[in-house]
Amino acid sequence: MRIQATITLFLLLGVVCISCGKKRTAQTVAAQGAVRLTYWCASNQSEIDLATELVSKWNASHPKIQVALQPIPASQSSEEALLAAIAGKTTPDICANMWPGAMDDFTSSGGLVRLDQFPDFMDYLTERIPTELLESFRSPDGHYYQIPWKTNPIMIMYNKRMFRKAGILKPPRTYSEYLAAAKSITKDLNGDGRADQWMGYQDIRPIWWQRFFDYYTHYIAASGGQTLFDSMGICFENDASIKVFSFFQEIYRNGYFPRTTFQGDNFLAGKFATVITGPWNITHVEKFKKPEFEYDIFPIPVPDDYHGPVYTYGDHKNISIFSTTKNPEAVWKFARFLISAQADLRLLEVCSQIPLRKNLTKNPLYQSYFRENPMMTKFAEQAPFTRGVDGSSVLKEIFDAISQEYEACSIYGKRTPEEAVANAAHAGRSRRQRRQTRPGYH
Amino acid sequence: MKKSLIYILLIVGGLMFAYPFLWMISATFKPEAEIGSIGLWSANFSMRNYTAVFQKIPISRAFLNSIFVSACVTFSVILFGSIVGYALSRLRFFGRDFLLGLILFTMVIPFQITLIPMYILMVKFGWVDSYMALIVPGMISAFGILLFRQFFMDIPQDLIDAAKIDGCNDFGILFKIIYPLSKPVIITVGIVSFMGSWNDVLWPLIVIRLQKLMTLPQMVTIFAVGGQADGQLGAQLAAATLLAVPIVLVYTFFQRYFIESMATTGLKN
Amino acid sequence: MKSAQLKTKSSDKTGYLMSLPYVIYFGLFIGFPLVFSFILIFHKWNIVTPMQWIGLRNFYRLFHDVQFFIAIRNTLVFLVIHIPLQIFTALLLAILLNQKIKLKGFFRALYFLPVIVSGVVITILWQQLFAYETGLLNLLLTKLGLSKIPWLINIKWAMPSIAIMATWKNVGLYIVLFLVGLQGIPRYLYEAAEIDGARPVQQFFHITIPALNSTMVLVVILSTIGGFSLFIEPFVMTGGGPMNSTLSVMLYIYNQAFYFGHMGYAATLGFFFAFIILIVVLIQKKFVERKD
Repeated sequence: MRIQATITLFLLLGVVCISCGKKRTAQTVAAQGAVRLTYWCASNQSEIDLATELVSKWNASHPKIQVALQPIPASQSSEEALLAAIAGKTTPDICANMWPGAMDDFTSSGGLVRLDQFPDFMDYLTERIPTELLESFRSPDGHYYQIPWKTNPIMIMYNKRMFRKAGILKPPRTYSEYLAAAKSITKDLNGDGRADQWMGYQDIRPIWWQRFFDYYTHYIAASGGQTLFDSMGICFENDASIKVFSFFQEIYRNGYFPRTTFQGDNFLAGKFATVITGPWNITHVEKFKKPEFEYDIFPIPVPDDYHGPVYTYGDHKNISIFSTTKNPEAVWKFARFLISAQADLRLLEVCSQIPLRKNLTKNPLYQSYFRENPMMTKFAEQAPFTRGVDGSSVLKEIFDAISQEYEACSIYGKRTPEEAVANAAHAGRSRRQRRQTRPGYH
Repeated sequence: MKKSLIYILLIVGGLMFAYPFLWMISATFKPEAEIGSIGLWSANFSMRNYTAVFQKIPISRAFLNSIFVSACVTFSVILFGSIVGYALSRLRFFGRDFLLGLILFTMVIPFQITLIPMYILMVKFGWVDSYMALIVPGMISAFGILLFRQFFMDIPQDLIDAAKIDGCNDFGILFKIIYPLSKPVIITVGIVSFMGSWNDVLWPLIVIRLQKLMTLPQMVTIFAVGGQADGQLGAQLAAATLLAVPIVLVYTFFQRYFIESMATTGLKN
Repeated sequence: MKSAQLKTKSSDKTGYLMSLPYVIYFGLFIGFPLVFSFILIFHKWNIVTPMQWIGLRNFYRLFHDVQFFIAIRNTLVFLVIHIPLQIFTALLLAILLNQKIKLKGFFRALYFLPVIVSGVVITILWQQLFAYETGLLNLLLTKLGLSKIPWLINIKWAMPSIAIMATWKNVGLYIVLFLVGLQGIPRYLYEAAEIDGARPVQQFFHITIPALNSTMVLVVILSTIGGFSLFIEPFVMTGGGPMNSTLSVMLYIYNQAFYFGHMGYAATLGFFFAFIILIVVLIQKKFVERKD
């Protein structure tokens, strides 16, 4: 009796496992002989619009290769979504929301196709992207697993009227100029003892990706284009980091940025004179601003003794092909379409994001676009001078460590910049060491 | 104590609970700049925030997802809870008390331990980003089983004997005789189960990434914590209000049942 | 004799059949996770690459993990503030509601409202109440001529703020529990005390409180378990800050597992934490029940 029950139990379990193990295959060859591909795009509205348009254009002209579109969430968990898909073998053929920082995890799992196996890949790459950035997208094993697609260079948008009223004639370039500007702008307007307008604002919650907008982007600028790692390991324990930490410490100590988690869009409301942001914000500002609102863009400030071009964080997003694909050639063809000159123009027009393309502003195809959108020109010119994140698998933890120290030092003034940077570097090294037991990681 | 003092204290208490909600609702109708005000009235009421929410996120889809998932879970919990509860209360078989002990044991296990392996199970089954992941782990509730068992133990044996003589097997007894008598416990288990499933946000956050499958609380959380609200506070509050409305509506009608269910569950615990 | 034996046999079969759903469920969703979790403790795994045996290294890491112990400390801070506040407010309001007054049902339903509303809504709402510059609470304080409180941006205030919010959310449930307890106290006890000349305060401490003992135990245990599960509030409102003062253990485990991909370590943390919870709850039962 009990044996019968146990056997039934195991049978049931088995049935359950088998039926659930039948993975939704990402592509099936349809009866007509057409190849079906799945394409995942980011889930913000403008990128969905762009992807829908490009996919229907492609489908109309390629009856033998049909593409189905599906958005994934663009929140901080889209990497987890992709990793879970890799683990469950439910990956699409191609995804255009690949964050370089997660490359290590993706490649070590064997989930991505090696792109330089396609004979024309390197030609495409060198023709398309600015030469300075070529090496930064190569994986440590020497191969390419991502097609650089777009970037959102981080710069500063400012309220021209507020600057004018405070007597600031041109945007600040160095830290001293910035702090001086901040001092004249941060004011108590109604005499109640607390400021009512500030130089700017950053969310002070210690969430690791918030650092892209304050510490990391300023560090890239201050160090002349360095990231957190070089070939030998952690390299951010340097003067540049210390300067960035103390810059922000000054800002919070003097109250130039409020120490709060403000809700609401206060840049447009005139409460903040600046906002650290990227080109996607232009559509937003244009949509919500009052008619008399004037704004412009300037690059991230640098330490007083810095000379040279200003670099910034590029928030790159790339395209990858997954190893579960049954039609790599077809997918590569579609990928080439996604990065074609026409598609790039639509990326600019529909999403106001910058395609990672050489000589973008000088290319005749885009001339009229940039003429009509002068703000975008500034971002486009910044694009070759961007850095992304290193593809390390402990990246998030290192940013988390930096976040903790940044919070303690710059926001709450409880630590000196030297201590904070040293702590962060130390934490970063120990977290890297823990990962060293696996080969192929850097 | 003087009656008036009691009333005053109760009213002050009542205000402390009601006012924040009233403020939130009125804020969703105010223009962005006026949200910081403490009063409830504004000259510029509009539906703008709600339109923004409906435009930006598929909130009606999330609402339907929540209803679907919660309804399935509740139905399943009642069905299986009553079946197992019946077996434990009215049948004798070898291992019955062991099973009972097992059930009690599971109520003591904090979910913190099982969370991650359950997620891994979902990945291995391929259930991530599917309704299965939302429904199946919630299909049986140890607590539901115990409540049914408790209630069924009080059913007079003669009723059951009479049914047996008429030729009913145990399933027939359960569904035809016991169910009609069990309205209170069915409602209690139903309400607690529905509420728990409706408000659950941690589990959906872990197993669902595709927007079209997200539940209502999950969608509102991501909307509020992520950047989709464009920093529009009014829109965030509107999303939160939309999340609260369904259950508050149900609550206003079934208020008595709600409160009594929670009280009984607390006591049984 | 024979018919009786037959009856037990068929009852056996139906019993197993009826229990089968639970057994399958247990095996899949409780048994397997427990066993797997236990195995995971000795491994390093990020889901996409094969598991790696690392022996006791996760334990070594746990005992040197400052953030984890900060998270535990935060949870204790939360409980120390939340539980007394909860008991005091719930008991007070329950006693008031227990008097001969009209509109009892209305008030009871009103106080219960936050209990049924999703924690997400409550958190979003209270974020606005707690905001330093523009939040409702500080606006009220300034209107009354008092200075603003840095609710969520100050290390000393952040966790207490969350505790206050949690009390507000759940007090309705505990009011109901206390009401049930109060209504169970026989009137004649109070009448006898009156006759003996006891004042209301004495009656309270010598009759009411002891009679509510089992309800108190329940309230304490439920609040404790709730406190240990604290997740959505810090997740939405503070991200664990300022300076890790609102980092709850569940939030920390979530980060370790789902942001950083340390499944083995997260499982270790989970087990250890569950162990702590069990001990705390057992101690509480012994301690609070002792007041007989």
